[in-house]
Amino acid sequence: MIQQFCDWLSRTDISVAFQSANWFVPLVQTVHIIAIAILLTTVYVIGFRLIGISRSVQPLARLAARSAPWIWTALSVLLVSGILLTVTEPARELLNWVFRIKMLLVLILAGALWIVQTRTRRDLTYWSESPARRRAARAVGVGFIIIGAGIVTAGRWIAYV
Amino acid sequence: MSMAVEQALTWLQDLKFPTAIRESDWLFPTIETVHVLALVLVVGSIMTVDLRLLGIAQRERPFSEIAAEMLPWTWTAFLVAAAAGLMLFSSKALVYYANVPFRLKMCCLLLAGINMAMFHWLGTRHIEAWDRAQPPRRAKLAGGTSLLLWTAIVATGRWIGFTT
Repeated sequence: MIQQFCDWLSRTDISVAFQSANWFVPLVQTVHIIAIAILLTTVYVIGFRLIGISRSVQPLARLAARSAPWIWTALSVLLVSGILLTVTEPARELLNWVFRIKMLLVLILAGALWIVQTRTRRDLTYWSESPARRRAARAVGVGFIIIGAGIVTAGRWIAYV
Repeated sequence: MSMAVEQALTWLQDLKFPTAIRESDWLFPTIETVHVLALVLVVGSIMTVDLRLLGIAQRERPFSEIAAEMLPWTWTAFLVAAAAGLMLFSSKALVYYANVPFRLKMCCLLLAGINMAMFHWLGTRHIEAWDRAQPPRRAKLAGGTSLLLWTAIVATGRWIGFTT
């Protein structure tokens, strides 16, 4: 099924056009990597802040609110550039189990970011209200660091498996 | 390529570890993953500062506060990216040395370093005057130059992978 879809997609005019321009993939990958740079730096700054090992002086609530537009803009750019790369080489992505793990990790990260943002928006001191909340904050922070690294790792290994 | 350079690069890539990277199936992609992970943090932290210099992001925060927040990320990640990059280079030193995108990347890296040093020595004078406001034109110029150079570093870095 997926194999047939990949075959069909790779023969469409748009895919053939992208494939025949040998500058297209490196260019889109460059945009993709710069969007990852913005996203991952933002996620790591928030992650370290949640863990409590950051020298950042800005309150978590302000940090989360300020980061929101950058996070969702970067994720949108990543989605569009990712789709363009997939249209160009469907089998390289869609038939690859590392790609599927990457997509799963992206969904988990996006969901976790959304939860942290909504909780913090409704209740500015949500993550510091009790020892249990502070433990939860540390766990979420560690999760951000690990999942972020996992996404980049999976992204690079798509090319090798 | 001069004889001396060729000998030095041959000596480097024939060392034990570079040879192991070249002959292994997983060492190169693993080191490359560390390189990319560190690189995105370098680029992300530098661009955060650049965007503030250009007056695009975080205008209401003092520049010095953002710079102090980002600097440890930039330097830690840069050391990791440079160490991993040197390992990748050493595995195929002769190939990379002759590769045009690699040379362009190193030039951009050098220019980015010079730009950063010049801004640090000249651009941050009288910073109290604009720390909480729009930066002066020379600071904006440094931010814009940095943004362009780091974009070029990512682009040429990606280009290396398509030409080696």
